[in-house]
Amino acid sequence: MLKWYEQSVPDGDVVISSRVRLARNLEGYKFSPLLKESEAVKLVDEVKGITSALAEQDNRKYYSCNLKSLSEIDKAAMVERHIVSPLLVEKEQATGLILSDDETVSIMINEEDHVRIQAIVGGLNLEEAYDIANRIDDIAYEKLRFAYDEKYGYITSCPTNVGTGMRASCMVFLPALSAARLINKLIEEVGRYGVTIRGIYGEGTKSMGSIYQISNQKTLGNSEKEIIQNLNRIVDQVIKQERKRREYMLSVNADEIENQVYRSYGILKYARQISSSDAMTLLSQIKFGMDTGLIKFDREFNVHKLMMGIQPGCLQWALGKSVGSTTRDKARAEYISKELPNIVEKTE
Amino acid sequence: MLCDRCKIREAKVLYTEIINGAKTEQHLCEECAADYTSFQMEKPLFNSELTLNSLLSTLLGAYQGGTQSKPEVKKSGLVCDNCKTTFEEFLQRGRFGCAQCYKSFYSEIENILRSIHGAQAHTGKRPKGFVSSGEKIFKNLSEEERLTLELQQAIEKEEFEEAARLRDLIRSLKKEESKNA
Repeated sequence: MLKWYEQSVPDGDVVISSRVRLARNLEGYKFSPLLKESEAVKLVDEVKGITSALAEQDNRKYYSCNLKSLSEIDKAAMVERHIVSPLLVEKEQATGLILSDDETVSIMINEEDHVRIQAIVGGLNLEEAYDIANRIDDIAYEKLRFAYDEKYGYITSCPTNVGTGMRASCMVFLPALSAARLINKLIEEVGRYGVTIRGIYGEGTKSMGSIYQISNQKTLGNSEKEIIQNLNRIVDQVIKQERKRREYMLSVNADEIENQVYRSYGILKYARQISSSDAMTLLSQIKFGMDTGLIKFDREFNVHKLMMGIQPGCLQWALGKSVGSTTRDKARAEYISKELPNIVEKTE
Repeated sequence: MLCDRCKIREAKVLYTEIINGAKTEQHLCEECAADYTSFQMEKPLFNSELTLNSLLSTLLGAYQGGTQSKPEVKKSGLVCDNCKTTFEEFLQRGRFGCAQCYKSFYSEIENILRSIHGAQAHTGKRPKGFVSSGEKIFKNLSEEERLTLELQQAIEKEEFEEAARLRDLIRSLKKEESKNA
């Protein structure tokens, strides 16, 4: 089965992926900061107990594990592939994970909330991501007693998540808007509609390679459907603005941009060592070149898959061992050179 | 190696200080290094988590009428009987202690939630089979009481044919009751 980052997707030139996360808590357990270690262990076991029900009722394969049993490299690689949050792997307490084989569904256990169900699909498709997460929530609810209040809805540890417990987000690629330094203005604008824009790995993280996350801020008062409709409208606007800006950039500066795209390709193809932040910047140039038709390759090529593959954790995971940064930079350069397809020369 | 200053945490920073040609070296942990020197370990996730938390608690405090210049917010005296979290602790941490806290702090959190979300009630998904207390009351009503409620609703919606039908139903029910009695 193809993973979400291996499929060709709607609006893929701007929207890389759509994700829906549902926060749930179990009755009978205190929230994470007040949980004793023995209770945390019990919680993780209880939630892991739904794995077989998921496998029966949802046609994916599911695996479960305790985070403690994983190596640091495994954990870093999973953060980079958006399977788990940085918070989950940093926690000292017992934590767990249920994951589908296609990496579409992941359930974090004992993160900030007891259960966080996440569904992620390629491109702009929030409805599908919600449908999946919603179905998983229903299956889980047959086995687990989620705390639900008549007035406040799903109860969460932080008051900013209560109600639907839902965070819907799109990962977007905005090279033209960031080159024009319009991101801050955009953040301000969408803020008025209860929507935030953040770095690639969520709260407080920096943007890399012009990739951002757009998500709903409010979780109480609107239904899941309304939240998704609202976010869809905003993302549509962002897509339009980004495309318009790209057109404008090309109309005034096509030669220079084309030069940058091809130079980026040259460096990525022939460098012997490269850091991940350099590689991200250059790969985002390549993606920009592909999306705007400035550069063509002799085969299908997913830039975002490569972007995840070159992160320190994923790279070491592929190497099968932990290595220093110089060795990593060498391995990264070799990996990119191998993965980059050949350019098809334009016929004038 | 343990930190030279606190002797508790693992040292991660070698700090060299040269004052008037005299050189001293110290092995410090991240916390002491941040405290003692201008050094900041690059850990954006952690730092941001902290700032977000403190931001949230400042906001939460502000909703309660407390401002930064007046740190003594009047004590509410509220304590969650399940997890023993006090309302003040909740404001400080920005996190509830358990699901019960929502009930324990009921009188205070409505304003907080309205300020955060601009709303004070959930309108989205319900777990399968969840019956609200309103529905429970409705279920336990006698036939006559239920019909009377429906009649009121019909009148409010100006559905007078339906209202007349319900009125007749209630009348016949009442007749039967008086017969039986």
